[in-house]
Parts: sequence; structure tokens; C-alpha cells
Amino acid sequence: GIPIRTTLDNSTTVQYAGLLHQLIMKARSTVRDIDPQNDLTFLRIRSKKHEIMVAPDKEYLLIVIQNPCE
Amino acid sequence: KSCQTGKISTAETAVQSHTSRDAGVQTDQSKDAVQDFQQEVQVDYTSLLSFLQRVEDAVIKELNKNWKSRAFDGFEVNWTDQNETVLCLHTLSYPEAQDQNLQVTSVSWNATGSVVACSYGRLDGGDWSTEKSYVCTWNLDRRGLNPQRPDLVVDVPSSVMCLAFHPSQPSLIAGGLFGGELVVWDTSRTEDPVIWRTGMTDDTHTDPVYQVNWLPDTKHRNHARLLSVSTDGKILVWREERDGRLALAEGFAMVAQQIPRSTQLKKFAWGEAAVGVTSLSFSHFDPRVFVVGVEGGYSLKCSTAAETLALHRAGSSVPLRAPAELAFSPHGGPVYSVSCSPFHRQVLNLFLSCGTDGQVHLHSMLQTQPLVSLQLSEKYLFCVRWSPVRPLVFAAASGEGNCNKCFCFIGDVHLFDFGKSSQKPAVSIKQAAGECPVYCLEFNIKQTRLLAAGDATGTVKVWQLSSDFTEQGPREMNRLEQLASEITD
Repeated sequence: GIPIRTTLDNSTTVQYAGLLHQLIMKARSTVRDIDPQNDLTFLRIRSKKHEIMVAPDKEYLLIVIQNPCE
Repeated sequence: KSCQTGKISTAETAVQSHTSRDAGVQTDQSKDAVQDFQQEVQVDYTSLLSFLQRVEDAVIKELNKNWKSRAFDGFEVNWTDQNETVLCLHTLSYPEAQDQNLQVTSVSWNATGSVVACSYGRLDGGDWSTEKSYVCTWNLDRRGLNPQRPDLVVDVPSSVMCLAFHPSQPSLIAGGLFGGELVVWDTSRTEDPVIWRTGMTDDTHTDPVYQVNWLPDTKHRNHARLLSVSTDGKILVWREERDGRLALAEGFAMVAQQIPRSTQLKKFAWGEAAVGVTSLSFSHFDPRVFVVGVEGGYSLKCSTAAETLALHRAGSSVPLRAPAELAFSPHGGPVYSVSCSPFHRQVLNLFLSCGTDGQVHLHSMLQTQPLVSLQLSEKYLFCVRWSPVRPLVFAAASGEGNCNKCFCFIGDVHLFDFGKSSQKPAVSIKQAAGECPVYCLEFNIKQTRLLAAGDATGTVKVWQLSSDFTEQGPREMNRLEQLASEITD
């Protein structure tokens, strides 16, 4: 994925864009393999330090990284 | 029904290679390949806008849900086996060096994290020492590892006081000698491992070199420069010359008169004496800023961009400059080790210093008084290092000294965790039976569970740390920032 707008620094953005694009493809194919009538609408990844949320679309991805309240 | 493939024509020929050539291949460090993306992309802004309008509500709903969610409270996943205790993995020594009563003066891990090297010498050698000493390396990942037989032993004609492996080339190691020279060995060469040396010239240090560091060379990516620190007050930067010599590239000299003293510190009448530098650490956020520890007990913030010339430093091929910018509140004795925190943010310029008064000071580079002052031991502290993975953890090595009172810390390697306690060490590891001062320690940056410590009996112990020392908690950086700011007020 090619980043268009970002609030993070360049290298981190490029890293997130590339890695998450691949993950979205994989997640989408997983959902559709199980049920071809289904499709991916949203992806959330929770890690020790924060939560990554991705809203996918035909042409674009919106990636949000949040520090949840602990 | 059956089928059969049609006739296939075949022919026989022989082939033999005629000439051959050998070529060696090695990957070089790649240049950073991050392009600036904002100019290249053609964007259809109307469709981008409609996309954002479509997803905006859903995303904001999820963000808000997260703020209030308690679903994951207390939920932890263990990806690796949890280790509860600190174990001694290896006890390495070189019997010949031990027979000569040599001590381990310095340890260093190489760039890949699988080889540990130690230098033998004497730290209590007095004024002059002509004993020969050794540099030994062990590859811990090799199957036939014999802890009493190092993989490589380099004979050195005088005591080696400090060692540093090259940060990216796994076979290069630099050492500073008692006589003030610097030598670089290449451990992959079997005949003569020495590849560069400073030799004894007018530029060489006149006192033992206590610390040597590799510096990235900004102009030539694959060459590095060497920095050496000595109690003659000079901090010198060397570059490689073609004939195996190390030539002086730039240098700094610490002279007492040029040390800045703030009005909060007591006035000292040092005069023009040279200030003996014992240790140095570069800041991780600004490569021109470094901190030095001196024999007078001060830690000083210095800059490589300093322009003022040092006083009374004639006789050197390159003009020496005075780098000190700020003097911090002193210890009650010489400072033996300083370490800058590798976890940097704009506001956190933390470093640790330790010395013979048995105290560890946590300083912010922004103020002269320490943020935290810990009396770790009644004995001298020889080395302090931040953990490379946990922002709140550091290790300190203690040793000799007069213990009048019986203190409760009996151990020799202290692991301190600010997240657990601000008063006493989380774990104190006894290096050996009996009183055995630990002179040096280093964390392994690649295999983050390992810590090597060298002591006065000539043994290097490789300790495996328990999981709570190697796994970062979710809010450690915030806790560190909090620690830095709560005491500044």
C-alpha cells in the first residue's frame, strides 16, 4: 500500500502500510474462503502496547493506532 | 483405451566447463531506502473523501468503545516459556590467565550476539605494568563449547584495559592498552589478528585507555572511527589509515579550568590540572552529545560540536578542543561508569553514573541535580549499564571496598527495576563464592536474556535473566517519563 496521508513519521508509516496491506488481503481471503458470501468489514489487532484498527475498502485503507485505557 | 506419447527425439552430448573464476560475495550494509512518498502519489481526492466519509462513523464508534472497554483487563498472553529465576548459563575462563592472577577488565558481545570476548589485565596494577595479557573469545552458539578453552586467544604484550566489538562487523574487536595504545584485532584471521594499531606516537595517550568505542563515520558508511578515553584527560577519535595505522582524526581534552561549573555546585580549586576521564557514553538521541565520567567524581555533558580549543595541549597533530558544556552534581569519589538510556524521547535524556561511593545517580541531562540517588552498596561500583529492552531496568557491578557495617546487599551484580522498587535492587546475583569484585558487565543486544559479567578471579559468567527482566510491560515508557518528571519539580 502507498501511504497518502499520515500523522506518524515516514518510515513507521511505510512499514505499517506495507505490512497491514498484506494482512488485510490474508484476512479477507480467510473470511471469503469460509463463506463466499461474506466479506471483511473491519480488522482489529490488539497487542500488549496498543490496538491497531483497519477499515478496508476497494481502493483505500484507513489505519488507526490507539492506546487503549488500561 | 490406452494412450502413448509420440516418439521423443533424444541426443547425447557432453559438456565441460572451460574456465572458472572465483569470486567472493558479501552483502554490504544497505543504504536506507525510505523514500519521501508524499510527492509521488496521484490521488483522486473526491473518491478519497467519499471513502473517509463512509468509514468515519464506524471507526469513531470503535475508538470510543475501546476507551470504555474493560474486556481485556488482566488479559495476558505468554508467547514464550516464562523463566522465573536468573541462571548462570556459562562460566568461562582461561586457565593460563588465571594462573597469572589476571583479572577480567572488560567484556564485550559481538554484532551477532553469539560471541563474547573478554580482556585480561589488572585493574589494581599500580603505576606501571609490563605483564603480558590476553584477549579471549568464546562462541556460545558452537556445539563443542569448552568453557576453559576459548575459541581464540590473542597474546598482548601489555595489559588490555577495555574492549569493544565492532557494531556491525562481527569479527573486528578493538582494545585499549595500559600503555595508552589502541589495537584492533580481526578474529577471523588466523595468523596475525592485529589489523590496526596506534603505536606509540606523540598523539597516543600517556595513561591507560579505560574505554574504547566505535563511532559511525558519517562520510564513509562502511568505515567506522574509534574513540578512546583515558585518565590523561584526552578523548581522541582515530581513523583507519592504509598501512595498518590508526591516525588521529580529532580530539578533545578535559582541562580543569575549562569545566563549566554552575553556581549550585561548590567551588573547587582545580587549577590547570588535566581531568582524568574514566568512562564515556554517547546519547542515543543526539549523536553529537556524550556524557563522560571523571576521576574527580563529576559527570559532564559534552558535545562533539564544541569549538573552543583546550588549554595547554600542545604537541598533538590535531588541535584538541574542550567539549564540556555542563557539570552535574558530583559523586563522593571517582566515577567509574556512565551509561545513557537507549530509550530516548525528546524530553528524556537520562543517564546513569556510578562510582566508588557505592551510589548510582540517575540524571536528566537538563538539570545538574540527580533525579534519583541510590546507595546500592557499601563497595565500589565499577560498571553500570541500562537494559537494552526494558526502559526501567539497569544492572550494576560491585566489588571491593571496606565494609564497616553489614549491609543487606550481599550480591555482586545488582539488577535494579524502577518499576518494582525505587529503593533496593530487584535481584542481587552473587558472582562467586567469597568476595570477588565484578569489574565489568554487558547486556547482549541480540539475545536479550543474556548478561555477561567479568570478575577479579579471571572468570566470565554468562547469566540468563528471568522473563520479567526481558519483557517490556505495556506502559513502561510512560512510567519512565513519569519518573523523570515527578522528581524534577
